[in-house]
Amino acid sequence: MSHISVRDLEFAYGDGREALGGLSLHVEPGEVVGLLGRNGAGKTTLLHCLLGLLKPSAGEVEIFGLDPRAYPLEVKSQLGHVSEHDLLPPGRRVRELLAFHADVFPDWDGALCDELVGRFGLNTASRIRQLSKGQVRQVSLVCAVAHRPKLLLLDEPAGGLDPAARREVLQLAIELLVEGGTTVLFSSHHMHDVERLAQRVVMLHEGRVLLDDTLDDLREGCSLAVLPGDLAPRLEAMPRCLRVRPQGDVVHAAMAAPPSEAEQLLNGELSRTDVRCSSLNLEDFFVELVG
Amino acid sequence: MPSATHIDIHVVPGDGVPIYRQIMAQISDGVACGRLSPGDRLPSQRELAQRLVVAPLTVKKAYDLLEREGVVESRHGSGTFVAQGAQGDKAQAEKHLAQAARQLVTQAQLSGLDDKALIALVQAAAAQLRQERASGDHSRGERPKTTETEES
Repeated sequence: MSHISVRDLEFAYGDGREALGGLSLHVEPGEVVGLLGRNGAGKTTLLHCLLGLLKPSAGEVEIFGLDPRAYPLEVKSQLGHVSEHDLLPPGRRVRELLAFHADVFPDWDGALCDELVGRFGLNTASRIRQLSKGQVRQVSLVCAVAHRPKLLLLDEPAGGLDPAARREVLQLAIELLVEGGTTVLFSSHHMHDVERLAQRVVMLHEGRVLLDDTLDDLREGCSLAVLPGDLAPRLEAMPRCLRVRPQGDVVHAAMAAPPSEAEQLLNGELSRTDVRCSSLNLEDFFVELVG
Repeated sequence: MPSATHIDIHVVPGDGVPIYRQIMAQISDGVACGRLSPGDRLPSQRELAQRLVVAPLTVKKAYDLLEREGVVESRHGSGTFVAQGAQGDKAQAEKHLAQAARQLVTQAQLSGLDDKALIALVQAAAAQLRQERASGDHSRGERPKTTETEES
């Protein structure tokens, strides 16, 4: 059974603005999937539908085979969620929040909670408003993982944090993966973090899945050619050309083939001998596809 | 269980090659220049994943491929070791080397170095590696422990 199963999901806001336009996605147990896309691509909306916070306009959402809106308790007891936009009550003390979560989740692991609080150096007597942004995120993380969920949904879990705090978030995620094979779906704009953590990458664009592939296949199976601008129409007609992006006098052509293969293909197709293709890292790839 | 041989590995996300290939290359390189010897135990997959802060599956992929290439062998229950007579896949290696050579030649030409000067540099590097390999047994274990370095 898939941990996440989304079929033809559509969501439109009250003003008619379409946020998701027929999106399908399946995530199997143990997979670690990076959710990429520009601001407004639909990442947070998708995660909110998965959490049952938003009601889809059409299509199906299942978490562990259950509709999260029909079975909120069953789903949430096995799910952890952290968002950059989490709002914790500013007047509460850390220990009150932890005690609340320990009450709500039958599988709360007090030892894991204590260990994380110790490692982060959190003072449980502090009120939320007294903590730094990084510390508040750490509290969110402890609340999200101490019941050892089967599935973690992370919306920019390290967003807005300094590099050291970001690394701590990443380290915790790696530890959970090492220990328990947790399924993770996380959105991030930090491509280096995605390269460290994800095995699979799903790129959203305008409410749809633009691309869904393993990270290594993307890294090794795609390349970029820089060519004279007048070739744009011919490139656009090529089946393995993913995107043509004009840049002044030249065009960037993102190709669904490794560099040497793409060179052969382009030289043959364009009757040239001088086409050179280079490999792309994830950040370049992101810019070439949706920039 | 013997403790794992120390090996410096650090990965750079966003580099030209995926992380699993970086891990593979550094272990193969360690064998090639004698920092790792047949029988040496490598860090466990979970240990390396935590040290490098990369997904455990990435380390597993690197180890599995190295095993298929005959560079390492896993012994049930006791870990992963550098294989006896370890050497990489020759055809694959030649393919990668051809790419690297092309980059090298391009860089040399851009810097105005002729072929002869470039070949001299390659020979000097080979001589240095041979020397390091010869003294490998002495220096091993004394190498300073480097922590993984990278920040975007």
